[in-house]
Amino acid sequence: MTSVASKRLYQEYKHLTTDPPEGITAGPVSEDDLFVWEAIIAGPEGSPYEGGVFPAELKFPKDYPLMPPSMRFLCDLWHPNVYTNGNVCISILHAPGEDPNHYEQASERWSPIQSVEKILISVMSMIAEPNDESPANVDAARMWRERRPEFEKRVKADVRKSLGL
Amino acid sequence: MAESQTSINIPQILAVAIVGFFAIRWFLNKPASASAPPASSSSRGGRQVDVTKINQVTSMFPQLDRRAIAWDLQRNGGSVAATTERVLGGRGLDNPPPSFQPNIPAQETASGSSSGVQKRGAPGQPDLITRYNLQGRISGKGKEAEPSEEERMKSAWSADKAARAENLKRRREEMILAARRKMEAKEGQA
Repeated sequence: MTSVASKRLYQEYKHLTTDPPEGITAGPVSEDDLFVWEAIIAGPEGSPYEGGVFPAELKFPKDYPLMPPSMRFLCDLWHPNVYTNGNVCISILHAPGEDPNHYEQASERWSPIQSVEKILISVMSMIAEPNDESPANVDAARMWRERRPEFEKRVKADVRKSLGL
Repeated sequence: MAESQTSINIPQILAVAIVGFFAIRWFLNKPASASAPPASSSSRGGRQVDVTKINQVTSMFPQLDRRAIAWDLQRNGGSVAATTERVLGGRGLDNPPPSFQPNIPAQETASGSSSGVQKRGAPGQPDLITRYNLQGRISGKGKEAEPSEEERMKSAWSADKAARAENLKRRREEMILAARRKMEAKEGQA
């Protein structure tokens, strides 16, 4: 099982290196352990996150691709769907069949035909368009809903800070 | 004759044993159940909510007020799952009445229900320049333009493991430095 997962992760790494999607860099932290990756996602244009880059860690289970990886941002990311500890809450990272809140389409959830690339692209579009239905960071969700200018100001300040400026 | 006597005795002995068993049990339980009501009423009066449960919820949602968590736990009968569900459902926790003053020790790590300014610094992630040790490469105040880098980023798959790791590291660093350069340029214009 592990060799299936390793093989698949290696293939995905290769694909993401030779043909990386715009604004995404991803690969294993070390090739000695293909089950821990680090990705960098650029803030989507036209969103308050524009100009920022956000590192995240992906941890793959041994039975990948049957089960999805978990993803955690390694930077402060003030976003309705990102927990304050960095964990990302997005349907594509939810195992098939496991739907605690009963509002996700089965097609949105993880299945082995998805990929790291699709996860990262989904997360990128989630960053641009928060999903108000399942807030992981309740305070950020409320600010996003009720005080948008303040939300954007805070995000922009965080982006600037994260670049060491 | 003897047979009929034993057949009478065995049910009698059994009956005595059963009655005796229940009698002893009743006596043994009596003191415990007599002391139970005062204990539970004192816990109700003292607003005792399990601190470990509050800590569990706090560790998931550090932004929440510990008193509000205690209040919600008390009302739902101490179910961490129910409180978590409630928060995740976006309903939030009700504000506890002022009279509700549980005896909850502040958690060592969290600063509890302090101001938003304090919370903001709490995760305390270093900036990306520090994180990826890029201080040495930003000395030129972002003036060191590296135009050819864009082309080099689309590098091919190397057969060598070390070269691949190096390539990935370089792409990662360049992405961060490029973002910084861009941001600096944008601010320079403004």
